[in-house]
Amino acid sequence: MLEVREILLMMAEETRKRGLPLPVPRDALTSWAEGLGLARSGDVLLYTGALYQLTPYINAFVDYLERLEGSKASGFLLKAARRLKLTGLASAIAKPRKEEVEYSQRVLRAIVSLLKRAGVEVAYNPDVDGYSGVLLYDLGLDDVFKEHAVKVYRALKDAGPSTVITVDPHTTHVLRNVYPKYIDGFDLTVKSYLEVLAEKGLKLEEIGGEWVIHDPCLYARSLGIIDQPRTLLRNAGIRVLEPKRSGKMTYCCGGPLESIAPRLSKKIASRRIQELSAVSKNILTLCPICYANLSRVSNDETVRDIALVLTGDLR
Amino acid sequence: MTGPEALLKSVYSVLDSGEFQEAVWRSSLHAEERVPQILERYSYIRRLAEEVLEARRRAISNMEEVLERLRESAKRVNLNLYFAETAEDARRIVGGIIGSGKTVVFSKSMVAEEIRLREYLEENGNEVWETDLGQLLIQLENGKPMHTTAPAIHLTVERAARLVREKLGLELPRDPRPEDIVSAVRGFLREKFTGADYGVSGANAIAADTASIVLVENEGNIRLVTGLPERHIVVAGVEKVVETLDLALKQALVQAAYAGLFPPTYMNIISGPSSTADIEHRRVYGAHGPREVHLVLIDNGRMKARGTPLEEQLRCVRCGRCQWECPVWRHTANVWGGEVYGGPMGVNWTAITEGLEKGGELSMLCLQCMRCDEVCPVEIPLSSIIHWLRKNYVAGLLS
Repeated sequence: MLEVREILLMMAEETRKRGLPLPVPRDALTSWAEGLGLARSGDVLLYTGALYQLTPYINAFVDYLERLEGSKASGFLLKAARRLKLTGLASAIAKPRKEEVEYSQRVLRAIVSLLKRAGVEVAYNPDVDGYSGVLLYDLGLDDVFKEHAVKVYRALKDAGPSTVITVDPHTTHVLRNVYPKYIDGFDLTVKSYLEVLAEKGLKLEEIGGEWVIHDPCLYARSLGIIDQPRTLLRNAGIRVLEPKRSGKMTYCCGGPLESIAPRLSKKIASRRIQELSAVSKNILTLCPICYANLSRVSNDETVRDIALVLTGDLR
Repeated sequence: MTGPEALLKSVYSVLDSGEFQEAVWRSSLHAEERVPQILERYSYIRRLAEEVLEARRRAISNMEEVLERLRESAKRVNLNLYFAETAEDARRIVGGIIGSGKTVVFSKSMVAEEIRLREYLEENGNEVWETDLGQLLIQLENGKPMHTTAPAIHLTVERAARLVREKLGLELPRDPRPEDIVSAVRGFLREKFTGADYGVSGANAIAADTASIVLVENEGNIRLVTGLPERHIVVAGVEKVVETLDLALKQALVQAAYAGLFPPTYMNIISGPSSTADIEHRRVYGAHGPREVHLVLIDNGRMKARGTPLEEQLRCVRCGRCQWECPVWRHTANVWGGEVYGGPMGVNWTAITEGLEKGGELSMLCLQCMRCDEVCPVEIPLSSIIHWLRKNYVAGLLS
């Protein structure tokens, strides 16, 4: 079994030291934006929260934990982990798959291009962009989260935008709903890019196709972002199919348990993908964590992020 | 192995059991579909739930006042009222009433499970039988209830038949259907009912103004447990008391609807012992029903939960809907739980009855997906409470 305490300590230490929960090189967060010519400052600032960029590393980490957890074959690994501490091992194994890194970068570029098409000029400052600390909050690492949130908030305020645009449900939720509880006088407008695109009434050229939508828990139940993605997809001539559990009653992908109980997390993901797959083999995700968890258990299904589908990038 | 690692170990042991996974998943599917149908067909249920929410909030924050009122009413209906601060106190009170060498029949009560009452009475030399079929299977299996209203959902027909054959020596056909098990158990329990000295039940709700115990059921065993023996003992958490009888009835109806079984086949109101005034209009206690009724109200951590985020959990009506809807619970049932309570509500109830440390440990397996919050009839912010437990637990773990 995994040592929960060790995993939590590693994440806390990493975030305190380098601002990220895993030992990931900093340029991995910002290289996606190279060559896009985005202004460094402006009234509307894109803050990725780094979740898309971190996902390939999280995957590598979870693969490692899973191996560690399968106690039969790797009893000795567990002992080794105890002796050497997970931290050391984690950095040794956290080598992400190249295609996953490339996938995340494509999603982020697609998001920027969609915003441009909707007439929204976003600024992006690689020195301000970073990690929101959401995993620390989720895992109950309250003190570390608070310390981190204060730093992130200060950096965002110093950058001076009136609106911060986010790209995933976790970062949107934590910035909009959790930060205000931890930061006195919190004063920033936080919007998901999907909300912004829907507000602007973005109309895209006919793309077509048919996708079953997997609503992320936080968009559906915490942020009320349910109609926006559907409208955007329909406006692009895409047929949106609903699984048995959708919208407000959507079903979790299992992601939040991936680092504590990988096997349980995978079971939950498998149930969900069966349910989605019963409607269509084309599965649409709106969150990098959902994408990672569902594609981890997919067989003949195609799992794609909404930003790629909306830009017609179906490689 | 202790702490979260031990919990994970037991959770993983059921993840690998195909039988367990299939049984729990199937039950969840049925319950998940049934509740929305009930809510649609009986549109007043949602309104009742809102009323019950407010009534429970009020009763919990004015608990002292409500209990005082109950004390007064109990005297009027000749109900013996006791207050137990701990599980041990409760066991001692009930044990003192029953003594030893008696036959005792139980209807299913999670609070009786919470205080390990059956085991205690058995240790004192009594013969004790669970009469709810699911709970009887749990007794035979020597296990714990896997869901609040459906304790044996993890058992397949085959496993249930094996238990009944091996532990009760009952004869069943070669490929028994559920009906065969029910019929065999019915025959077996008949004589236990008629021979029982004491009946022990829980309560779905208790009315302070009339000292009435309200119980809903479908099997009919509660009627027998509370009606046939000469003495009836009720064990219930203090939080079950509401101001008035109409609210108690509504609470029981809401519980039944959100548990997915509506209308309930039976609804029982018990206000003290049975009596007759047919001769000279003088009231004599102990007609055909019990001549003594005892109500043991149990605190066991509930009162001190007030004023903390756990206070909101106290208004739970124990319908178990949050369990059916939880993606984690659907793989673990109450194995993700403490001694008795499991799943979203069970993490919080475990924190109330077994302490913050134990509840915190369980909180680590919550997805924070908030499906439970969405379906709770009395709007308990289950996942936020769980998050609060986790935060405190992690702080302790790392310090």
